[in-house]
Amino acid sequence: MTIAALNADQTDALQEVVNIAMGQAGDRLARTLDVFVKLSVPRIRLVHVSEVIRTVQEMISNTSLVSAVRQAFFDELRGEAVVIYDNAGCKDLANLMGYNDELSTLEEQELLLDVSNVLVGACVNGIAQQFGADLSFSPPSIMAEKIPLDLVLSPENLSWQYALLVEVNFGLENSDFKSHLLILMAEEGIDTLRTSLDRLMEAI
Amino acid sequence: MSTSAEDLSLLEFIVGKVNVGIFVIDSEFRVVVWNRFMESHSGYRTKNIIGQNLFDAFPELAESEKWLRRKIQNIFVLKNGSFTSWEQRPYLFRFRHNRPVTGGVDCMRQNCTFQPMKDEAGEVRYVCVTLFDVTDTSIYQNMLQKTLASLADASNRDGLTGIYNRRFFEQALIKEYSRAQRYGHTLSLALLDLDHFKKVNDVHGHLAGDEVLRETVRRLSGCLRDADILARYGGEEFAVIFPETAQAGAMVVAERLRAAMAVTPIIYNTQPLTVTISVGVTEFRADIGRYEDLIKEADLSLYASKDSGRNRVTGYTPTASAECD
Repeated sequence: MTIAALNADQTDALQEVVNIAMGQAGDRLARTLDVFVKLSVPRIRLVHVSEVIRTVQEMISNTSLVSAVRQAFFDELRGEAVVIYDNAGCKDLANLMGYNDELSTLEEQELLLDVSNVLVGACVNGIAQQFGADLSFSPPSIMAEKIPLDLVLSPENLSWQYALLVEVNFGLENSDFKSHLLILMAEEGIDTLRTSLDRLMEAI
Repeated sequence: MSTSAEDLSLLEFIVGKVNVGIFVIDSEFRVVVWNRFMESHSGYRTKNIIGQNLFDAFPELAESEKWLRRKIQNIFVLKNGSFTSWEQRPYLFRFRHNRPVTGGVDCMRQNCTFQPMKDEAGEVRYVCVTLFDVTDTSIYQNMLQKTLASLADASNRDGLTGIYNRRFFEQALIKEYSRAQRYGHTLSLALLDLDHFKKVNDVHGHLAGDEVLRETVRRLSGCLRDADILARYGGEEFAVIFPETAQAGAMVVAERLRAAMAVTPIIYNTQPLTVTISVGVTEFRADIGRYEDLIKEADLSLYASKDSGRNRVTGYTPTASAECD
């Protein structure tokens, strides 16, 4: 069976695109949130559905409970982004997002959705911009609240065989806030991405 | 995109007539576009609201103003759309909905999308808000949630007495058992059986039997603490899980249950029926392998109560089990 993967040039180009995009995203987030945003170097892996949990666990190495939000993006790139929050959640961002300090359960959920939308938008749009692409986004929705990490992405809920996984983690200066952004592009999404990468390399 | 005059008037017609709220604001929160849906639900004529600050026009937004300002400002900076969902925020504007009679909700539930509108240089000039009436969806969703909750509850309960059924009892016991195992907590279990219940049915009829079971449950429930779990285990057999309770404590409560039955007869059709119970009690020990063994031990003790004359409580002793086996 052949894996619908990327060749070496395409992989290098993608890493470069993602690095630039995340740098810009960090910058834009810092301006929006008015705090210094710490971003990790993005990691890119091709994963089989059976390994996705193990791979994500290695990347995130979190033993406590997590909450997660998903959001789809489509048009010239296709895939889904998942933002995973440590138990601490994103309460430190409440004020910066215009919420009051005392949060009800629903407000906490909405804050989680709002912050995810901002993180996903900044990063995925950053990648799309490198390709000169314009994306649409679905509304974000909550996938999981305070459950063990290995239950967030259970293989029975996944309909693909292979997916390209881009992982970045975010931290804020002087805060416990920590989150992980996973951008997943499955089979058809990888084909679209490959076309975009080839076009980008031709243009250079 | 074509921009012929005819196309434009078609687009204008669609934006005007579509059954979705559409409005556009600039970076100063001034209204630039306000469609028919917004007109008819807000009571603001388009010609009256164009150019007005959204927050001035809608004092009701004051409560969410800080959040909404932030949300819209972020769109100008990040050039990225945003959303709200009725599940977290029921509505942006307080509009009437089309189910004033059958709705059961106070006002229109709304899902909103906020889209950046960019100029040729790629800068965001306006934010376009679309507002979807999802009142029907929310009503169905709430009905579904309520139905699911009551189904889940019904599937855990005994139809005659309303207390938990055996299915729920087993799940609860497994949960308490593993909690005791993990954290070293104490845990006790009692099984109890109505003495000579068959005779009640035979002599007084099944309606009398049913009433005896219901009255038994009322009396037992009255003697238990909130954390104790009472379930109907079988026909005239009941089980009580005592979380965080050692056997000695459970024995005291079991004795109270026995007395509650034996002391006062149950009145059925003005006729006093004396109903007693036999009880077997055991507790979790670290050397018990499986939760089923707790049930087995309580059962052995219950039969010991039956064998020694009924209307009594027997506690399990590990040495006795060797004799019983």
